[in-house]
Amino acid sequence: MSAAESANAIQRNQVDLLDFIDWSGVECLNQSSSHSLSNALKQGYREDEGLNLESDADEQLLIYIPFTQVIKLHSIVVMGSEEDGPKTVKLFANREHMGFSNVSDFPPSDTAVLSPDNLKGKPVVLKYVKFQNVRSLTIFIEDNQSGSEITKVQKIALYGSTVETTDMKGLKKIEDH
Amino acid sequence: MVLEATMICIDNSEWMRNGDYSPSRFQAQADAVSLICGAKTQSNPENTVGILTMAGKGVRVLATPTSDLGKILSCMHGLEMGGETNLAAGILIAQLALKHRQNKNQQQRIIVFAGSPIKHERKALEIIGKKLKKNSVALDIVNFGEEEDGKPEKLEALLGSVNNNDTSHMVHVPPGQNALSDVLISTPVFTGDGEGGSGFAAAAAAAAAAGGVSDFDFGVDPNIDPELALALRVSMEEERARQEAAAKKAAEEAQPQSESQNATSTATEKVSDPMDEDDLLKQAVALSMNIPGSDSSAGDAQMSEATNDDQELALALQMSMQDGSKDSSAPSDVSKVLGDQSFMSSILSSLPGVDPNDPNVKDLLASLLGQSEPQEKKDEDEQPKDDK
Repeated sequence: MSAAESANAIQRNQVDLLDFIDWSGVECLNQSSSHSLSNALKQGYREDEGLNLESDADEQLLIYIPFTQVIKLHSIVVMGSEEDGPKTVKLFANREHMGFSNVSDFPPSDTAVLSPDNLKGKPVVLKYVKFQNVRSLTIFIEDNQSGSEITKVQKIALYGSTVETTDMKGLKKIEDH
Repeated sequence: MVLEATMICIDNSEWMRNGDYSPSRFQAQADAVSLICGAKTQSNPENTVGILTMAGKGVRVLATPTSDLGKILSCMHGLEMGGETNLAAGILIAQLALKHRQNKNQQQRIIVFAGSPIKHERKALEIIGKKLKKNSVALDIVNFGEEEDGKPEKLEALLGSVNNNDTSHMVHVPPGQNALSDVLISTPVFTGDGEGGSGFAAAAAAAAAAGGVSDFDFGVDPNIDPELALALRVSMEEERARQEAAAKKAAEEAQPQSESQNATSTATEKVSDPMDEDDLLKQAVALSMNIPGSDSSAGDAQMSEATNDDQELALALQMSMQDGSKDSSAPSDVSKVLGDQSFMSSILSSLPGVDPNDPNVKDLLASLLGQSEPQEKKDEDEQPKDDK
């Protein structure tokens, strides 16, 4: 039921926010250099099951995604394998430059504990009211399903909608007559 | 020119009183620290450096990351030696200081001077290393001073757990002739990750070691100042072009003499000349042929356009006319030269091998590679047929 709802919501007016990510500011702490965030976020790479984002020194990951404009976040999809995929995922809206040491300093905007269904692609619907005015999103992956040393994430997709903002490209200069 | 915040951890323990590095271990270390601070701030003006001491009563931060070189150097004065180094605490506090840096876009780096025996276990150091790697902090270790069993292995373990893509380095400096700072200059501690050296390091190295280390043509690091390096390069090329044009003009002045010789001499005379003429002709014709269009009148107009562009060529032509015996009507200013089309065509025809009829000119271009002799002979034969 909820799966159908969320699927509908995605079809209704939520779009994949991939186009609104400001790639120049995207950061990921504790990622392995050969398995980086692009494998999970970018078009094409994220569909490839062989390409994963992997953690390095331990199983936690801290991902910072700024957006080019203000968005509302409706749901996220986090895909991974059953053993190494993420379990507890905390989301922080509009917090810049977080580090592993201050993730516990303030409460997350939302927390998701991923089930095997989620890891196969079922979206996690978030508390929409908390994500009405999001300029940047920080995703903290706290642990993984089996408690292993390395967390592997195959895909991260964000669904939501944009707040009406001025499209600068659409602004046309008034022609002088 | 990586934007970086660096914390330098100084070892000011009792072991630093030793004199095996001149004048004392501590002094050598202080010199190295000053050099590093200078290099970092010079390679990028927004870089910040901070200092802390690891021994004494406890770990003490002397300066938080700042770009003010004076403040950093002044806090190095009056440091006392004593106590034992607490390496782990020093590194952790350095990491904390970096976490609170003002510009979060800076990369984080810690430089540790490990001069005394390490009392921590390898395991503990590895855990610290992993923590640094997790927070993407790079670590440079300078192993000098006291040599102890197991110290290199512990430091290697620490480096291994921190190192991510070769951003962290370790340097061993044995005691001896060379000062600590001199040895460090050539290491990645100074030069960063494959940047080829900052200007500061290059200058210091040139002073200290034989031969210039600087890889850059004009003594300006393109990494530091790309606009300046570009401006210097462009002006150098312009100067070179100007000198070539001047040389060409000088050669063209010599050309009229060779031309008058050719007018009266045999083909054997010609043999010696083609090389000079060829180069000059190549340049002169290339200029005129730059603008596409291939009939003679257009060629003349183009010639005038070309000479508009190149005043020196025009001057050369004028002078060659004055010197040579080509034409009676020899105008004396450049403007007349440019304006007189018939004159231009006569100039062209008077140059051996150059014809108002372009097929020959094209042949000449084809023969630029030095196979000019048969062509020139052919032109010589044809020349009497041309109208002067």
